[in-house]
Amino acid sequence: MSRSAAVIGIGHTDWVGDWQRVRAGERPDDCYGYATGAFRNALADAGIGRDQIDGLIVGPTTAYERMAEVLRMNVRWGDQADAVLSVVQAVQAIETGAAEVVALVYGNDQRSVGTQYGGPQAMGGDLFLSYVYHAPWGMTSQGALYALTFRAYAERYGISERDLGHVAVAQRQGSARNPNAIQRKEITLDDYLDARYITEPLRLFDYCLINDGGVALIIAEAATAKRLSERPVWIEATGRYDLNAGATNLEPRLTDFYRPAQQAVAEEVFGRAGLEQKDIDVFQVYDSFSVHVPLALEGYGYCGIGEAGRFMAEQGIGLTGRLPTNTSGGHLSETYMQGWAHQIECVRQLRGTCGDRQIEDARRVHYSSDVAGKAVSIIYGSD
Amino acid sequence: MQTAATPPRVLGLYDGPMWDRLKDRGELHLQCCSGCGAWRYPPGPACPECLSPEYDWKPVSGGGEVVSWVMFRKQYLPEYPAPYNVVAVRLDEGPMLISNLVEDPDADVIGRRVRLKIVEMQDGVALPRFELEG
Repeated sequence: MSRSAAVIGIGHTDWVGDWQRVRAGERPDDCYGYATGAFRNALADAGIGRDQIDGLIVGPTTAYERMAEVLRMNVRWGDQADAVLSVVQAVQAIETGAAEVVALVYGNDQRSVGTQYGGPQAMGGDLFLSYVYHAPWGMTSQGALYALTFRAYAERYGISERDLGHVAVAQRQGSARNPNAIQRKEITLDDYLDARYITEPLRLFDYCLINDGGVALIIAEAATAKRLSERPVWIEATGRYDLNAGATNLEPRLTDFYRPAQQAVAEEVFGRAGLEQKDIDVFQVYDSFSVHVPLALEGYGYCGIGEAGRFMAEQGIGLTGRLPTNTSGGHLSETYMQGWAHQIECVRQLRGTCGDRQIEDARRVHYSSDVAGKAVSIIYGSD
Repeated sequence: MQTAATPPRVLGLYDGPMWDRLKDRGELHLQCCSGCGAWRYPPGPACPECLSPEYDWKPVSGGGEVVSWVMFRKQYLPEYPAPYNVVAVRLDEGPMLISNLVEDPDADVIGRRVRLKIVEMQDGVALPRFELEG
């Protein structure tokens, strides 16, 4: 399956401008409007028209049928999926011949409509029982789930809160050099430690932003991609493994930190791509909370088990570190697009268009996501 | 730890007997599979180990061990002003429960033994919580 498809177009909205407008009390757009704005930009970036697209995937925040109606897209294949599974499914649709050029569109008005990820109206409870089941004990916040995870992990391996701070500090290095990032002020480890606890042991800078915006990608079959694009970014391989047993009680998070799933995915995705960890130039990790990063470093084999704290402190995950991670600033500091903006940062790094945060000669980027029990990875590559 | 009010419980088709027995008998009963003997929580239609739909409600021993814990410093729910603790407890029978320690811990409690303490909330709910063993 290696290099059966490539990204030929990317687009996003002005989430910095919309952040300021929403904070000023405006409602700049809705989910569908943000998605449409991103799609317009992706079409322009690819230099193609809608008539050249025959597949459509929309994010989980918009209805497939309505989104397709808004975009006036009559297609022969379509679906709804989250960021990473959209890419996986687009590749699968292309490989089976169900579609040749697939548009992936996502829009979210979570800030302006006040979407709650904790509290009595926590979203997602209908899908994920763990989000609401423990409310009688005061436990509904997503961040608190990761605080519980980090405490168990830190205790087992002797990782300190200061060690964890390297994630937020490194990602601010990237966002400070990203004109599209919402939080651009660099921070130090002391700044990190001085910030207030939200759910102890996690602090303010361990939590993602909540903001409005949209992201779109256009993925094409290999030969078509070469014909349509001068700079296709290849999907080298994908991999997935799900841990659902005991999910409501947080078993997979608290006992082995999703590691068995990550290890299975690592074997699959690196094997299919014919690559090793040392071949990866940039790492992108779904970071609703900083805790994802050290767990992914260990689970995907970039360092030994229990060594992520030392790896981040000594080898480094910042722009000049051994493994630059979440170079755009990620969910913590650039924008919370639920994994979608990470995909376009992978593409930009491989196109070499990241300006002051560009990782020199980046040729392979690994994206990893561990959300609601699904460990999924994509390796992107350039020619 | 507050005892004034309980945020809404998930009350699906299988949840009722657990809450009723907490209140009526002062005991935590969980489903125990008639086929393979595995305990399960939260309540559900079949045993995740062997898929048997047959089960009995049985009282647990009440003993367990702390797997992790946190302190909420921000308020999310009107019923729970911060600060307060949340713990993950591994029951001796196997299942993990997310709950509270009756007293907020003042030091790390991972690995500490705990005992079930059913707390009568002022709104009438009997809530299973835990206290540290000496």
